Amino acid sequence: MRFLARRLGFYLLTAWAAVTLNFLIPRLMPGDPVDLLVARLKGNVDPAAIDAMKRAFGISDAGVWQQYLDYLGNLLHGELGRSITFFPAEVSTIIAGSLPWTIGLVGVATLLSYLLGTFLGVIVAWKRGSWLDGVLPATTFMHAVPYFWVALALVFVFGVTLRWFPVSRAYGLDVMPAFDGPFVSSVLYHAALPAITIVIASMADRILGMRNVMVTTLGEDYVVMAEAKGLTSRRVMWAYAARNAILPNITSFALSLGFVVGGSVLTEIVFSYPGIGSMLLKGVENEDFPLMQGIFLVISLAVLAANLLADLAYVVLDPRTRQEA
Amino acid sequence: MTSHRRQRSRTPIRLLPAALVAALVLAGCSGAPPERGAAAGDAPPLVIHAIDAGSFQEDFNPFHLEGVNLGSTGMIYETLEFINKLKPGESTPWLATGHEWSDKGKTLTLTLRQGVKWTDGTPFTADDVAFTFDTLKKHPELNTAALDLKGTTVLAPDKVEIDFGSTSYAKLYNITGNRPIVAKHLFEKENPVTFTNPKPVGTGPYMLSSFSSQLYEMKKNPAYWQPGKPVVPTLRFPAYTANAVQTGLQQGEIDWAGAFVPDIDKIYVQGQPETNKYYFPPEGLVSLYLNLTKPAFAKPEVRQAISLAVDRDRIVKVAERGYTTVAHPSGVSMPGGDAYLPPEHKDAAYSVDVEKAKQLLQQSGVESSELSFTLLVPSPFTDWVNAAQLIREDLAKIGIKVETRGVAFQDWVSKVGKGTYDMTIRGTPGGPTPYLTLRTLLDGGLAKPVGTSTSGNYERWKDGETDRLIADYTATDDQAAQERAVQGLGKIMVEKVPVLPLFYSPSWAQYRTDKYVGWPSEQDPYAMPSPYTSPDAAVVLLHLRPAGT
Repeated sequence: MRFLARRLGFYLLTAWAAVTLNFLIPRLMPGDPVDLLVARLKGNVDPAAIDAMKRAFGISDAGVWQQYLDYLGNLLHGELGRSITFFPAEVSTIIAGSLPWTIGLVGVATLLSYLLGTFLGVIVAWKRGSWLDGVLPATTFMHAVPYFWVALALVFVFGVTLRWFPVSRAYGLDVMPAFDGPFVSSVLYHAALPAITIVIASMADRILGMRNVMVTTLGEDYVVMAEAKGLTSRRVMWAYAARNAILPNITSFALSLGFVVGGSVLTEIVFSYPGIGSMLLKGVENEDFPLMQGIFLVISLAVLAANLLADLAYVVLDPRTRQEA
Repeated sequence: MTSHRRQRSRTPIRLLPAALVAALVLAGCSGAPPERGAAAGDAPPLVIHAIDAGSFQEDFNPFHLEGVNLGSTGMIYETLEFINKLKPGESTPWLATGHEWSDKGKTLTLTLRQGVKWTDGTPFTADDVAFTFDTLKKHPELNTAALDLKGTTVLAPDKVEIDFGSTSYAKLYNITGNRPIVAKHLFEKENPVTFTNPKPVGTGPYMLSSFSSQLYEMKKNPAYWQPGKPVVPTLRFPAYTANAVQTGLQQGEIDWAGAFVPDIDKIYVQGQPETNKYYFPPEGLVSLYLNLTKPAFAKPEVRQAISLAVDRDRIVKVAERGYTTVAHPSGVSMPGGDAYLPPEHKDAAYSVDVEKAKQLLQQSGVESSELSFTLLVPSPFTDWVNAAQLIREDLAKIGIKVETRGVAFQDWVSKVGKGTYDMTIRGTPGGPTPYLTLRTLLDGGLAKPVGTSTSGNYERWKDGETDRLIADYTATDDQAAQERAVQGLGKIMVEKVPVLPLFYSPSWAQYRTDKYVGWPSEQDPYAMPSPYTSPDAAVVLLHLRPAGT
C-alpha cells in the first residue's frame, strides 16, 4: 500500500507539472492570437471590435500569474474554455466529438499490433535459427521507415490505384451517424486502411522488443530446468519464458495506451480522419490556446493514467514489487 | 465576411501532405475517371467543397466569422444587396429593393422587398433588418467590419433607416453587400456571440436538412421568393482536408470546389476539359513590401530600381504555376477595374530594365554596402518562398544583396504587423472596388510606429496627398468622384512606388459541368466563382440549370 500511496503522490505532482507546462508552452509560441486574428480577418477590423473579440475569446491582457490562476480555477470547474478556431464551440465539445474516433481507431490498432507483435515475437525467439530469422531484417526495416511513408504508400496502392479502401474520412458520405448496420460497417470499412498502417508500422517494435527479451529469458536457468523436466515445448514457451519476458512489453503497452489519446497525428492527417490529432493540428495552425491546452491536458492525463495502470499491472504481475513494499 | 477564409485555408500544413498525395496521385493516375453523368429523372445533388476541414462543428450563426459553416450566409441567410466584386459598381437588389443615402452619408434608408418569408413562415420585415444592425452595435465583437453604428429606426414594415456616427459611403458593401440578415423573433432570445444556431431559419434558397461532423446537407426552400429557383434540389457539404480534396477532385466526387490544386491540368482536368473546368479570377493583390522606415527604402529611386529589376512574368510562371496574372502597376484589379485606372497610366505594364535600375541606384546615392536586406516570407506559403528566391536572383543582378528567410506563419504575421522587417511579400484583400485594396496598402492612419502592430500599410507610407484622396473617396457616393479618387491613388502607386505590386491572388474555383451548367466564367463573371465566397456562392447556385438545357 505504501508503494501505491507513494506512486499516487508522484502522479499528483506530475499532473500539476503537466498542467502548468500545458499553460506555459502555448504562450511561448511566437506571435499572439490577436495578431493572427487580425491577419485572418484581413485587417478590416476596428480596434474596438478587436478588444471586444479578445474578451469574447477569453484572451486577456492580465498578467501571467492572474491568467495562470484563472486557468487553474477553470480547470477545477471542468471548464476548458471556448475554441478560437471554432468559436463559440466549447473545447470540451470539440474534444468529446473527436476523441472517440481516435480512441476507436488508434486504440484498436494499438491493441491489435500489441497482441500480434508479442505473439510473433515469442514465436520468432523460440524458433530462432530457423527461416523465421528472415523476419528480423524486415521488421528492422519497418521500424526504420517513417510512418507517413508507409501510410502514403498503402494509400497509393490500396486506395488510389486498386480502390479497395476509401482513403479519407471516418465514414461514407451516404450514411448518417446512427447505431445501425450501414453506418457501423461504413465506419469499419473506413477505419480498415488507417488501422492496417498503424499495425504494420508499430508491430515491428513489438516483435523486436518481445523477441529480444524472450531470447535473454530463454537462457535463464528456470527455462533450462523446465526443459530438463521434460515439459512440453509449448508450455515452456508460454508459461515459463513468455510470461517472464512480457513484463517490459506490458509497460510499453500501457505507455502506448496513453499515447493513443494523443492519437496518431500523422495517421489522421494522411487519412483525413476526424480525430483528436487533426484537431490538435488545427489548433496549432490557428494559435488556438484554449483548444491546444484542452487537448494537451487530455493527452497528459491519459499518459499519466496509463502509467498508473502500468504500475498497478506490475504489482499484480510481478510479486517482487509487492515484497519490496 | 468570408474573404478571410481563403487566408485561413492557406494555413501551414496545407501544402506538404497535399503535395505528397498529389505526387502519388500523379504517379499513379490511371487515366480512367469514374463514370458520371446526371441520373435520369430527379435532379442530382451538388457536392461542394468550400474550405478544408477535417470535421464540422454545428454552427450556423451568420454573426460568426470563424466557426460558422459555409452556406450560412447566402444560401440560408441573405444580404440586402448583391455586390459583384468582379464588376466594380455592379449591384443587384436582394432583400432590399433600394437604398438611399442622406445627411452626408450618415443615414442610409433601405426599402425592403415585400412578400419574403422566413422558412418558419414568419414574414420578413424591417424589424429584422433593424435588429441585425442593433445587434452589431450592442456586441462590438461581432462588428468586425467596424461600422460606426448609431442606431436604427423602423419607418414602415418595408422601410428602415440606419444611422451612423460618421460618413459611411465607403462601407456600403459591409452594410448591404455582406451582412446577412437574421430573424429577430428567433435571435432576440439568444446571446448572438455564443449561440451556435443549430436549426437555422433564413430567407434564402436553401434550408439545412441534416448535419453530422462529416457532412451536412441543405434542401431547397420550396417557398423561396425567387419563383422557380433554385434548380439544384440538394447541396451536400462533405468534410475534406486539404489533401483529401485532391483525391476527391481526381476521383470525381466533388462538383464544385475552392481548392488549391498543384498541377491542376493533370490532377483535375485529366483529359475531360469539356466538363472539368476551373476559373481563378483575381481576389486580391500580392505585393512586395519594402519597409519605408529603412533609410535606403525611403528613397524612391531605390524602390523604382527594385521594381525595374524584378521579373514578375517569371514569378507568375514559375512560382505561381501560371494560375494568375501580373498585376497592373497601379494595383487596380484587372480585368474589371478599367474605370479606376489612372488615365495617364492606363497602359502601364511592368518590364525588366536592369541598366536603368542600376542607374537609378547610382542616382539615389545609397552606398552599395547599405544594399543588403532580408526578405521575410511565411515558410508554409511555398509559392511565396519560391517567388522570394526569384526576387533574390533578380536583385543580385543590380547589386542588391537579399537573404530570403522563411519563418513560421505566426512569426511572420507578428513581424510584418510590427514593422520589424526589411522586405516581405504579402497579400491584400480585394473589395467591391479597388479602393479597399489601395486604402489598406496606403492609408496613413494605419502607419503605426515600428513596434506597434498595424492591420495594413505595413510598409508605413505617409503622404498627405494619399490621405486626401482616401478622404475624398469616403466623403462621397458619387461613382465618378470615387473613381477619380482611386485613379489618384493608382497614380501614386505607379509614380511613387510605395509598394511593389507583383500579381493578383486568385480566387480558387473548380466546377464540373456534367450535372449543372451556368457557372461564372471569364466571359460571364456575374459573381465570384468560389464556393467559399459568400453571398456569391448562393448567387452562383441560383444561376445553375441542369446540363443539356
